[in-house]
Amino acid sequence: MRKSLFSIVSLLIIASMLLAGCTPATTAAPAATAAPAEATQAPAASTEKTILNVWSFTNEINTMAIAFEAIHPEVDVVYTMIPMTNGEYQTKLKAVIGTADTPDVIALEAAFVKEYVEADFLADLADLLPAAQAAQTYQFVIDVGTDNGVTKAFAYQATPGAVFYRRSLATEYFGTDDPAEIQAMMSDLDGFIEMAATIKEKSGGDTYMVASSGDFQNPFFANRAQPWVVDGALVVDPMVEEYINIAKLFRDNGYEAQAQQWQEGWFAGMNDSLVDADGNAKQVFCYFLPTWGLPYVLAPNSKSADGAHDTGGDWGVVTGPLPYQWGGTWLGAMAESPNLELAKEFIRFATLDEQNLTNWATGVYTNAYLAAIDPNVAPDQAQAAGDFVSSKVVVNKIVASFDNSELSAFLAGQNSYAGFAEAAPSVNAKLMTGSDDAIQRALNDPINQYLNGEISMDDLWSIWKDALRTEFPDLVIK
Amino acid sequence: MNLTALKKINHGYLFIAPFVIGFLIFGLYPVVNTLALSFTDMTLMTREGNWNDFQNFTRLFADDVFMTAVGNTWLLWILNFIPQIGIAMLLSMWFTNARLRLKGVGLWRAMFFLPNLLMPAAVAALFFSLFSYYGPVNQVMVRFDLLPEAVHFLQKIPVARALVIFIQWWMWFGQTTIILMAGMTSIPVHLYEAAMVDGATSMQMFTRITLPLLKPILVYIFVTSLVGGMQMFDIPYLLTDGRGSPSQSILTNTILMYTKFASSKGHIGAASAVGVMVFLMTSVCAMAIMYFLRDKDKDK
Repeated sequence: MRKSLFSIVSLLIIASMLLAGCTPATTAAPAATAAPAEATQAPAASTEKTILNVWSFTNEINTMAIAFEAIHPEVDVVYTMIPMTNGEYQTKLKAVIGTADTPDVIALEAAFVKEYVEADFLADLADLLPAAQAAQTYQFVIDVGTDNGVTKAFAYQATPGAVFYRRSLATEYFGTDDPAEIQAMMSDLDGFIEMAATIKEKSGGDTYMVASSGDFQNPFFANRAQPWVVDGALVVDPMVEEYINIAKLFRDNGYEAQAQQWQEGWFAGMNDSLVDADGNAKQVFCYFLPTWGLPYVLAPNSKSADGAHDTGGDWGVVTGPLPYQWGGTWLGAMAESPNLELAKEFIRFATLDEQNLTNWATGVYTNAYLAAIDPNVAPDQAQAAGDFVSSKVVVNKIVASFDNSELSAFLAGQNSYAGFAEAAPSVNAKLMTGSDDAIQRALNDPINQYLNGEISMDDLWSIWKDALRTEFPDLVIK
Repeated sequence: MNLTALKKINHGYLFIAPFVIGFLIFGLYPVVNTLALSFTDMTLMTREGNWNDFQNFTRLFADDVFMTAVGNTWLLWILNFIPQIGIAMLLSMWFTNARLRLKGVGLWRAMFFLPNLLMPAAVAALFFSLFSYYGPVNQVMVRFDLLPEAVHFLQKIPVARALVIFIQWWMWFGQTTIILMAGMTSIPVHLYEAAMVDGATSMQMFTRITLPLLKPILVYIFVTSLVGGMQMFDIPYLLTDGRGSPSQSILTNTILMYTKFASSKGHIGAASAVGVMVFLMTSVCAMAIMYFLRDKDKDK
């Protein structure tokens, strides 16, 4: 009797240890913004609703998840956000594949979507192709999600790139703020560099052409002749070297503010609050950003934190020296998902549904709209108007509505949506491979070291290739 | 009589059962599994692997990356451990010194221990912001003419390494101080009193009484710090880009292992090989420390 009591106690202790060991893995994931809402909502909804697990690396798809719940009240979408700053999302995702914690729907960023499309985990979404045809989804969006004729992922965005510039600075240094004339000046790289030199000379070094030379990395990489990996071997296209040379030129001549993308100095340049270490105010002439850069990055950061600076209405947009595309979020369903049909329906709704995409792009999903569906919605969950969607039907339908919108006011009357609609059909995805993300990440540090003058060009390549060998044991590197 | 003896033994086993079972599941199994994985080419994206003999290991030595990581790890550990044990020794001597009779020892001890309670992620983020190009350190140094212009501190090898070493030292010297103090206060006071009567100096008392009697504690500190140091990960990972930049100068063993694990396909076989090598290296060094600091009197 006594012995069995001990056994029970020790079993309980073991069980509690096991549970304690298990819980963090499943609950640590949700991000701060999404977690409270889901946690409080789950108990009320758990009894009958089907649970659909959606993983992403930003909170934007959660907006669609809430809208999805409105038309599918029998479904509870459990949304998990894991950031991908240093690749945390990708790692977490790889670690759960094939386990019981695998989500039903996963978001895949342009940099690593190919890796998953080329692997065997995603379900065939052939059922959704007719819907894609009806929505006239841009061909490159489907191409990216397709491997060997099997389509496994769709995107709600198309993401051609552009250059956003400051009109007041353009007038000051070039005598005009007209987008057509600015585009004519920067239509090729020589013109772009010439502009940088003019700005530096006329401003006495107080205005930089760009905040970071990393800004024009994407345009250069998008204009390579060959992808990073061909037949299992690493290919370094001449455009990569040209990018590094021009980045070095910008650094040595002081054409760039030496900020790092996505860090304080880079954002500060957007609202004129950039101050160098000595306390001198600095300005940035232009930013290379794609479709989503306007509503998600530039517009939200155009006011400084103290309210002293506001650059709204002082921006113009042009194609820039090199056409490119940057980013985009694809959605795929895990093949082993127990709710595969529902997962497909979610992807159809999020990426191909005309009504949803219209709502998404035109700012219908306000906080009030979302709160009516889910009272626990986070205050910043609303989707502002202006994201460029993947459906040509929707784009053509709504493009005129941006003529007099908040976003066109931000651009002093210019309809950026119309410009993107022209650029989107010519985007191609032939260069994308599954290894792009890791290959390009590994290049950042050697480039920084080279720009700082710490290492030579030869060291740059050897450090980078060593790093690649670590991550790609099977890649042939010459 | 026999029965009660048996019962006693059984109770003992029951009491240690939770640990033993926990150890088997969370301690031994992962080690054995890692060892097995290290001989395969398993990736997370394929979920299947074939035996590839010692290929993972030969690859580790095919280029300099692994040896760089090992070198970095030792460098970062030794340079933070020497000041750590030195300062901790000094502080704990002062705190326990019967002659000094310092006031507020508990308060000081708590203050020195506080950094250890911070999350490494928060500490790394703090130093990342402080030393960024547009950060406060640059502003202060340029405005006080200590630097002609702002510097990319975190892209400079000596700065990045010094920061990792400083943070590791700053977070851990309080912990070492507490353990050393515990060791010192457990040394019988009458030994010191006898030494004082015999006219010993503070230095003599330290080298003849404190150090020899602290040996078991020192072995413990050496070994735990070595094990922790060889697994150094969070601070160097979070301080820069998570790949040991600048120029792999703060790439530690565990960051290398993680990089292989988190690589595009998730090469867990290759990552396990790094883990096995680190395990072997740490075990050998820990045993060497225990051998050299063993109680030599017992051997006679």
